[in-house]
Amino acid sequence: MPTATAERVSRESTEQTIRFIDNVRSQIGKVVVGQDVVVERLLIALFTGGHLLLQGVPGLAKTLLVATLARTIDLLFARVQFTIDLLPSDIVGSEILDQRTNEFRVVKGPLFTNLLLADEINRAAPKVQSALLEAMQERKVTIGKETFKLPAPFLVIATQNPVEQSGTFELPEAQLDRFMLCHRLDYPEPAEEREILKRNLALGVRREDKGAVARTEFDVLEEGPVGTTEDLVQAMESVHHVHVSDTFVDHVVELVDLTRSHPRIELGCSPRAGIALTKASRARALIHGRDYVIPEDLYALADDVMLHRMRLNYEALADGCTGASVLRELLDEFGFVTDR
Amino acid sequence: MHRQPHILEPAPAPARRGVRTLLPLAALIVAAGAHAALAPEAVSAEPVEAVSVGLPERIEQIVLPGPELVPIPLTDATPVVIRIDRVDPHGTALRYDLVYYGVEPGEYDLAKYLQRKDGAPAEGLPEIPVRISSLLPAGQIEPTALQFRRLPWLGGYRALMVVVGVLWLAGLVWLLKPRRRAVVTNVEDVEEEPVSLAERLRPLVTDAMTGRLPKEKLAELERALVVCWRRRLGLQDATPAEAIAKLRQHPDASPLMTQLEVWLHRPPTADAVDVNELLKPYQNIAAHELGPALQETRR
Repeated sequence: MPTATAERVSRESTEQTIRFIDNVRSQIGKVVVGQDVVVERLLIALFTGGHLLLQGVPGLAKTLLVATLARTIDLLFARVQFTIDLLPSDIVGSEILDQRTNEFRVVKGPLFTNLLLADEINRAAPKVQSALLEAMQERKVTIGKETFKLPAPFLVIATQNPVEQSGTFELPEAQLDRFMLCHRLDYPEPAEEREILKRNLALGVRREDKGAVARTEFDVLEEGPVGTTEDLVQAMESVHHVHVSDTFVDHVVELVDLTRSHPRIELGCSPRAGIALTKASRARALIHGRDYVIPEDLYALADDVMLHRMRLNYEALADGCTGASVLRELLDEFGFVTDR
Repeated sequence: MHRQPHILEPAPAPARRGVRTLLPLAALIVAAGAHAALAPEAVSAEPVEAVSVGLPERIEQIVLPGPELVPIPLTDATPVVIRIDRVDPHGTALRYDLVYYGVEPGEYDLAKYLQRKDGAPAEGLPEIPVRISSLLPAGQIEPTALQFRRLPWLGGYRALMVVVGVLWLAGLVWLLKPRRRAVVTNVEDVEEEPVSLAERLRPLVTDAMTGRLPKEKLAELERALVVCWRRRLGLQDATPAEAIAKLRQHPDASPLMTQLEVWLHRPPTADAVDVNELLKPYQNIAAHELGPALQETRR
């Protein structure tokens, strides 16, 4: 294909993807108020095939957001509430004896879906966490003697409650590293919260059988999906066409390298962090209508990509430092805001 | 060692009356008692078996008249040392268990080395003769008496302790002294790592304008140029993302941001950026043209 034609096709494909993204965002906006950044992170994870960990207190519409996204793009969606007594077979699936045929039959678990919401992942025992994280990494699972590929796209969105830590199993750094992004949700702004309340007051009831039930936000989206899996695949391809300059790569390398020599950081970012930062920046550039990445993408995503991959040393923790404050120091040093 | 009680005082009056009135058998017992009472006086006349110098010897159940006795205070010249192990009442008198040892050979009367508890001299005591013998041959030369010597030149042990103490304190003060940051003495280090943004920026700009700046340094140049405007506009405290968003909206800073984006990040296009024109304002930038750096450490 001549270069000019290829460029035109690429431009058309990018424009189509941008329209698709706009449609998805507007559909989600009908159900979820605010949370633009979380929606952006969800789309980044979806377009790059990474996984997303959401940290936030209950009641911030995490489940609603993911369910709405799945319905908007016509994706299979499953939700698993992680508890202490959950077993790997509960999410992966297991072999059961079919009494009619006297043979073992595989029953696939909720992992066989496009979008899996792993609610409160840190409440499950480590063996369940590792079973899920293995599937996230390899995108296939073995049940009995048979290995099954997971559907494509396959995206895990896990949630963690940062407040209640008793009876939980904290994810170790090696497993956290599997999550491309870890986004910390915050409370909505007062204006957004006012809008949430107004919408909730207008929900009313829904007649069902001979009775009625109160309508919830899950009932709001009555329209069909605005995108298909094909649109999603096209978006994923468009992300790969986003230009990454050598200068941007140098920025990423220097920033990641700084985490390895910072006096307050015991465990710096791995090369996987650099890869994630570059891939996520590409997706963010596309979501913002660009076909090239710029340093703003890096700065916008640094927290979500790097914070969960860094471990502060004892002295920093004793001084009352947080990962966010150290990363801020690091970004100031990286951007020459502080003199050395 | 004396195991039999030594009765060194005359028998009490009631006992003497009893002797006169009892039957002949009782008279015989009293006679035996009287014999026993008289026996210590015979012992006191002759010193007991000799004991070597330094070996403790014990006298038990010895009855001595009068108020309680204690050993006299010791001096360097005391030839025999006495310790009273036990005191029990014995009629109007007291019964003692004594332990003694000799320091000098010879015959001694232990009664001379006792006094009343209130410090009064012990009068009216019978003799308690003891003999201390020596295993060494007679005429043994005694060790030479110690003499005072002059202190050594530095004053000896006490002065040495003072010197050691002073040195220890000096070391402690040196350890506790707040350290200053190590002064960079290597000139090459100073040249490699400029301390101010202006010093860092100038060579990068000059090299970029002359086309000598390596590609790997373009990222550093971009960050240095961006921070110039962050400092000028007082955006040091803003997050990098917020600061850049404000720079893009600022009428003076936004052209630089746009041009940098085209030059360094966009896919190669026909719209080339005039690098010399873009960087000219920053070629000879002075430190005072930039705002202050962020110095404090965030928590």
